Amino acid sequence: MIVGEQKPIEEIKKMVAPYKKLLILGCGTCVKTCFAGGEDETAALASALRMAFRTEGVSIEIDEQTVERQCENEFIQEAAKKIGENDAVLSLACGAGVQAMARRFPKEPVYPGLNTTFIGVQESHGVFTEECSGCGNCELGNFGGICPVTRCSKKLLNGPCGGSQKGICEVDANTECAWQLIIDRLKTLGQLNNLRTYIPPKNWKTSNSGGPRKLVREDHII
Amino acid sequence: MIVMNPMEKFKAKITLFHCINAFTEHVSLSTDDREVKIVKMPCSGMTTEVFMLKAFEAGADAVAILVCPEGACRYMEGNMRARKRVEKTSNVLDKIGVGGKRLSIHNLAAKNSDSVPGLLDEIMSTIKELGKNPAAAA
Ligand code: SF4
Ligand code: SF4
Repeated sequence: MIVGEQKPIEEIKKMVAPYKKLLILGCGTCVKTCFAGGEDETAALASALRMAFRTEGVSIEIDEQTVERQCENEFIQEAAKKIGENDAVLSLACGAGVQAMARRFPKEPVYPGLNTTFIGVQESHGVFTEECSGCGNCELGNFGGICPVTRCSKKLLNGPCGGSQKGICEVDANTECAWQLIIDRLKTLGQLNNLRTYIPPKNWKTSNSGGPRKLVREDHII
Repeated sequence: MIVMNPMEKFKAKITLFHCINAFTEHVSLSTDDREVKIVKMPCSGMTTEVFMLKAFEAGADAVAILVCPEGACRYMEGNMRARKRVEKTSNVLDKIGVGGKRLSIHNLAAKNSDSVPGLLDEIMSTIKELGKNPAAAA
């Protein structure tokens, strides 16, 4: 899922201050799971913002709605009525959702209420970790399903740097050594031989460093 | 009636969220100078940020969460979750100018409902100190 966290309320207040009628639009998929932009967070932020402006004697109407997914037109459509009734939208989706909204409603100002942080998983309740950098050429098969591109602090592809201690990365004491995890897992899988395969330097052309990417599925285009 | 200064007199509004296992209401908690609204929860862990904020938005001058003693939650950790949420919501209340001190959480010794009027007196002193909720709808 896409992981994000809500921006500080002071920053949000500044962005929406010019408007008299604001819609806060939540997204019920990724950002709901990371407690940043689902129905509950949308309602809580709407309530907090209403009070924040009220304490300053500023009058602003704040409406709220949450759609299933802001990155898909079919779901965005459900918000069209409320978007028409308001002066601006504060989106609590990831950056893709915010842009999908801006594309679908070209005349409506849309603001990001979240900082989109990474593609990750919920490691334990309330703890989210980055797992994939969307490099565009997945090599997880070599690494026992653990991504060194994302989880090794030095992005090493041919084994550990040698600096880790007791499975902890030398760069950051809060990070497990990805290579320790890879080797442990390859042992479990009986695939330690994978380490003998030389992995050439990564070609970053397929990643975001190669410029904006687009995926075209001819079989789905009429 | 609370008299803050000669210009400001008001009946304090307090919203009490409580776990049904923590407390049984057996006396009326409202008095001449306070109106107490009670919201029963199946477990205090269900008292999420939005409920607390909405209570303030609806005009509460203070909100209190009454929970079971540490280690005695029927659902294991509901009261601990409630405490974490109170901390977070209290920060939000500070940031939006309402005042985090208006929100409090209290572990009640095994269904000790008799201690509740005393707690409410403490909450009343906080309200006296902070005045009316500045974010209450006019
Ligand atoms: S808009 Fe972003 S957060 Fe929402 S479903 Fe799509 S990818 Fe996930
Ligand atoms: S190899 Fe690339 S696509 Fe695969 S998990 Fe790592 S960053 Fe993501």
